[in-house]
Amino acid sequence: MAVDQDWSNVYPTAAAFNPSSVPLPIRMGYPVKRGVPPPKEGNLELIKIPNFLHLTPPAIKKHCTALKDFCTEWPTVLDSDEKCEQHFPIEIETVDYVSAGLSVRNPKARVVTLRVKLSKLNLDDHAKKKLIKLVGERYCKDTDMLTITTDRCPLRRQNYDYGMYLLTVLYHESWKTEMWENEKTEADMEEYIWENSPSQKNALDTLLRIRAAEKTTEVTREELLASGIVENYKTSVVALKNEGETENNVLQYKESVMKLLNLQALQ
Amino acid sequence: ALSFRGQLYGAGTAGSCRGGGGGAVGKMAAWGGVSRLWRRCCQGPGTFPVNYSSRDMPKQYRFLLNKDLLWVQFSGLHTDLHRHKDNSLVSISDEPDTLYRKLSVLVKGHDKTVLDSYEYFAVLAAKELGISIEKVHEPPRKIERFTLLKSIHIFKKHRVQYEMRTHYRCLELKHLTGSTADVYLEYIQRNLPEGVAMEIKKTKLEKLPEHIQKPVWDKLLSVEETASTS
Repeated sequence: MAVDQDWSNVYPTAAAFNPSSVPLPIRMGYPVKRGVPPPKEGNLELIKIPNFLHLTPPAIKKHCTALKDFCTEWPTVLDSDEKCEQHFPIEIETVDYVSAGLSVRNPKARVVTLRVKLSKLNLDDHAKKKLIKLVGERYCKDTDMLTITTDRCPLRRQNYDYGMYLLTVLYHESWKTEMWENEKTEADMEEYIWENSPSQKNALDTLLRIRAAEKTTEVTREELLASGIVENYKTSVVALKNEGETENNVLQYKESVMKLLNLQALQ
Repeated sequence: ALSFRGQLYGAGTAGSCRGGGGGAVGKMAAWGGVSRLWRRCCQGPGTFPVNYSSRDMPKQYRFLLNKDLLWVQFSGLHTDLHRHKDNSLVSISDEPDTLYRKLSVLVKGHDKTVLDSYEYFAVLAAKELGISIEKVHEPPRKIERFTLLKSIHIFKKHRVQYEMRTHYRCLELKHLTGSTADVYLEYIQRNLPEGVAMEIKKTKLEKLPEHIQKPVWDKLLSVEETASTS
């Protein structure tokens, strides 16, 4: 082979190893006792393995310069994940499979996964709670992500359409209020609400009885509710019930109770 | 054929058309937020240049038009125009380009050295085409072993054991447009060596469709009222 010859002309496409075309002194195979691996002439081991002689770096660069014309650039605006989410809230995930076998097709290729953050959808409080109840396990509270995986149709396009249809139906159904939703009990509630709860009744009764015992001016329930001490108590109880018992929450509750019952002296 | 690249739009301001290329009509609209149109680069009729003359390049990269995407087009840079004008194989279509936030290419094979070479090739190709690579890692190999009887009849105590080793390589790319992804994947897949399989996971970005913007019950109620009153 001439020294100045272009290698990409010798191996333009994937081809089996040809010892006379490749000028390298390659040896491959298991050596005989006290010998060296066999040379490249008539060496089956070198012919068996896939070689990358047609994909040398200069050849790859040549291919890429030719392919560059068909590529488009990514918009410079969408450089971070947050911006992508802001403009494009829905993410569709699909998987393609390439393998050699009797058939090109893979039945797993029809699965489509749709992911969307509920904060991007136009939902009010009731609609969001209803949607989460409808969807069940498909919603993750930590990331606020709804994941719909569809594979019941034979084609990927059909599964994608079905996924979008599900999203649309869920959205519109969650805005509807059915008659039987009025029968929602306290056990169904997702979070603790202080209004009309036993805690509110107890606190107000206690305060009214304290006021009556001290024979101070008559204060109505509404005024008590509006006062700052009761608000403080309400926030600490709600935090405890909804977020669980953390150090901060318990300390806040202690302080609010002390203010409520005028117990500063006992510290 | 000319190509255009999208650019940033100030929120609520109408952009100006910069040297809009021949035949392309730029429709500016002041849209709250950012909107852009990227035209897809398709391949016109003809064979693939240089080394692939023996194999036919398949049809155009035609995709489903997502009518819910509101795109507004504007002009690209001068250099791009020239480059695409000269190449007669490139044809530009008006449909908006799909956007992939992440493209994960997982290759599986029995030979680790083959996967090493393939990874070098794929990484170099991505760099040359200007695709940003997020991560290249090697998931641990999996060995499937099973034990069979050595003889066809009796001799239960004498068995033979086989194993199949599968090595993996994962290449994660981010922020690709549909045209670029198609080009890169086709190039990668045509040069996939014998005995190596590939799984590609694409994460596509989409806007919220129009029918999810507002609940439909308000419109339905008003329609019913007008129907009952009229």
